[in-house]
Amino acid sequence: MYNIIAKLDSLVRFDHAKAHCDVPCGIYDPSTAQIAALTVVRMVDLMNDLEGQTPQKKVDFHNSMSRYIAVKEEHAEKAKREIRVIWGDYIKAQHLEKFPQLNGIVHSIMQFGSTSRQTADRESAVKFVDAINEFADIFWQTKSIATKKAQAPYAPALEMVYPDL
Amino acid sequence: MIRFLKVTGDSLAPEYLAGDFVLTVKIPCISFKVRVGDIVVFEHPLHGTLIKRVQSIDSIKGTAIVLGANESSIDSRNFGPIRLSSFTGKVIYHFPRPR
Repeated sequence: MYNIIAKLDSLVRFDHAKAHCDVPCGIYDPSTAQIAALTVVRMVDLMNDLEGQTPQKKVDFHNSMSRYIAVKEEHAEKAKREIRVIWGDYIKAQHLEKFPQLNGIVHSIMQFGSTSRQTADRESAVKFVDAINEFADIFWQTKSIATKKAQAPYAPALEMVYPDL
Repeated sequence: MIRFLKVTGDSLAPEYLAGDFVLTVKIPCISFKVRVGDIVVFEHPLHGTLIKRVQSIDSIKGTAIVLGANESSIDSRNFGPIRLSSFTGKVIYHFPRPR
């Protein structure tokens, strides 16, 4: 039926009714948070690799380690912020009715994100990624878009949730 | 009088998305009185033809509060109550684009 109406529209051009927003809303995507969380795991891996090496100069060791830590900090916070924006601006009461576990998932993301900043614990960082994947899966369901799981095509190559477009 | 309209913008998302079509019936119409929860179309002097959900009706003042489904929506939170006389149609059928 939609296609018939759309065809009719292409011929007679129906008037538009604006479901107007003050900003170009509707552009929400959890992929930024997923990539940021993956980066956190990657930094933890690099930190562990570096610790196992014998540095030529101590200063090089400290330079690399502090860079990894800085990136870990930045991306853990970035992932948390991206999720907060989607949760605060996009998620509505009807989504929470349909997915009552969502608030709990968001809270877990905040907690694992903080632990990932405070420590170099890989397990927490992986849980951070997993919780964000869980959030992404629900996010795409709210848009009636199917998801698929696939290994990230770069280190740390964790299994990620992607929209099946 | 019935009228087809194409939805633009996403303030009524996720129920109504840009690209959907709606069939509206002109108000007033004996069979289609506006009620709270209805999706209505109305003319706004600044924003043109808008589509929103009726949140509440003040029959004495002849006004209604209309809202979109998200915080970014331009609606009664911005421009206040709408006069019932500015309503030009009530949605009686929704044709969502394939999701």
